[in-house]
Amino acid sequence: MIWLAIFQRAIIGCVITGLIMGLISVFVVRMRLTAIGYAMSHSAFAGAALGVALSMDPLITAIFLSAITATLIGPVSDKARMPIDTITSIAFSLNMALAFIFLTLPPQVGLSSEVASVIWGSIITMTNSDLIYLEILFLVTLSLTYLFWKELFAIMFDRKMAEADGINTKPFIYFVIFLTGIVVAISLKLVGGILIYALLFNPASSALQFLHDIKKVIILSPIIGISSCLTGFLVSLMFDIPIGACIALFSTIIFAISVILSPKRKRRVIA
Amino acid sequence: MAPIIDLRGVSTVYEGERRPAIKDINLIVEEGEFIYIVGPNAAGKTTLLETINGLLPISKGSALVFNLDVRKYGREIRREIGYVPQDFMVEPNEPYTALDVVLMGRYGKIGVINKPGKKDRMKAVEAMRLLGVEELANKPIGKLSGGQQQKVMIARALAKEPKILLMDEPFSNLDSGSRDRVLMLVNRLNEEQKVTIIIVTHDLSQVMGQNHRIIVMNEGRIIADGDFNSIFDVAEKILPINMWRKH
Repeated sequence: MIWLAIFQRAIIGCVITGLIMGLISVFVVRMRLTAIGYAMSHSAFAGAALGVALSMDPLITAIFLSAITATLIGPVSDKARMPIDTITSIAFSLNMALAFIFLTLPPQVGLSSEVASVIWGSIITMTNSDLIYLEILFLVTLSLTYLFWKELFAIMFDRKMAEADGINTKPFIYFVIFLTGIVVAISLKLVGGILIYALLFNPASSALQFLHDIKKVIILSPIIGISSCLTGFLVSLMFDIPIGACIALFSTIIFAISVILSPKRKRRVIA
Repeated sequence: MAPIIDLRGVSTVYEGERRPAIKDINLIVEEGEFIYIVGPNAAGKTTLLETINGLLPISKGSALVFNLDVRKYGREIRREIGYVPQDFMVEPNEPYTALDVVLMGRYGKIGVINKPGKKDRMKAVEAMRLLGVEELANKPIGKLSGGQQQKVMIARALAKEPKILLMDEPFSNLDSGSRDRVLMLVNRLNEEQKVTIIIVTHDLSQVMGQNHRIIVMNEGRIIADGDFNSIFDVAEKILPINMWRKH
């Protein structure tokens, strides 16, 4: 019975994580926030190491540090007048440095199982409260996407033209970065910090191979996210291999198949 | 009545550069004027347009549009200005239809959270019809030719129902038939709806024999301003003679 409950939680976790990551993936890919995945996963990693060192829940500290990083990236990029990706890369190296320092703090947590579960993912240890976090996050992400779809839609097409039409693009870019930070931190239990960015890029990139309409991409991308998570989870169970690696592998296989089958690259024969 | 555009001693410097792209610009534009801006490359023509609509920060001087300070109310001002950027081309796989792009022109006016309604959709389709691209509404914009994409961007600016229309090289990808159609359309908007039109062009044959006001720019400054006869002597010194011949 215990195993059934764990299995159920894992399946629900896969579905919700796939949904959220698939949704966020569209914004990250279209807004070309390429470095955000690395920076957020490593800030979550540093946060988890800090949590273990301080004998706190690593998930909470991971979310906390990701939220701080995500909140600062946009304003620092504006203040320094440098591209978001440059500032994100600086945040990435800073968080890596912090993570290594936290790992050596007394009582010298090193790569304890708790920190390792953040790096590699450990869906089996997913609790009911983790699922509640994920569900709340999904509802918040979906509601905000619905409310501000028009603005996000225009910014994803071209930020400068959106500004030219009188849209204040800054808060929406900050919002996407912040949301990505939180989503990455909360999704860590499934895929782990090292491989989470596969889910940040692959679902939307795969969906974009087939569709010419972003309104359909925003539906297909979460479906691909769920498929990657579920398939990866089941295969990892069958062959007893790390779940994060399996999910990253399957989402990449889906991307490869999408590229091969993409109707966008088929040549037209003109009679 | 206050002028619709009032720039006094305006300079604009691009980030990371010391020399201003436009220097000490004084420009008064009355509502309903039709103006061409001509000049060689790097004369500051595009910078001037993007200074008027507040897309670029003003480093010196005062700029009022609709009697509002561009520094403070840039966003509100842009909601009333249609802007056609220079050489705007999208990638072939861009996941947006032509109608999506035209409808975006109305987003600023609709306001945050509100969704585009039937009226907005009708305005977008009407703008596409005026440009003769309504049958392309549901086609992916990336699959359209350069000229068709140009018309879609013009339709986007018109869908906004702007009070000022800023067009940066709007004819660069258009054949002569399409160019005449667009020109007729903006002339009609100017005459019937008193829309203020400012067109940047390198195609000097466009301005020959025109009754409209012509501004000549060079090295970030306005060096001549008036009708064709009054600017000709100055303009011919800085613009190669072959640019005056009809293509």
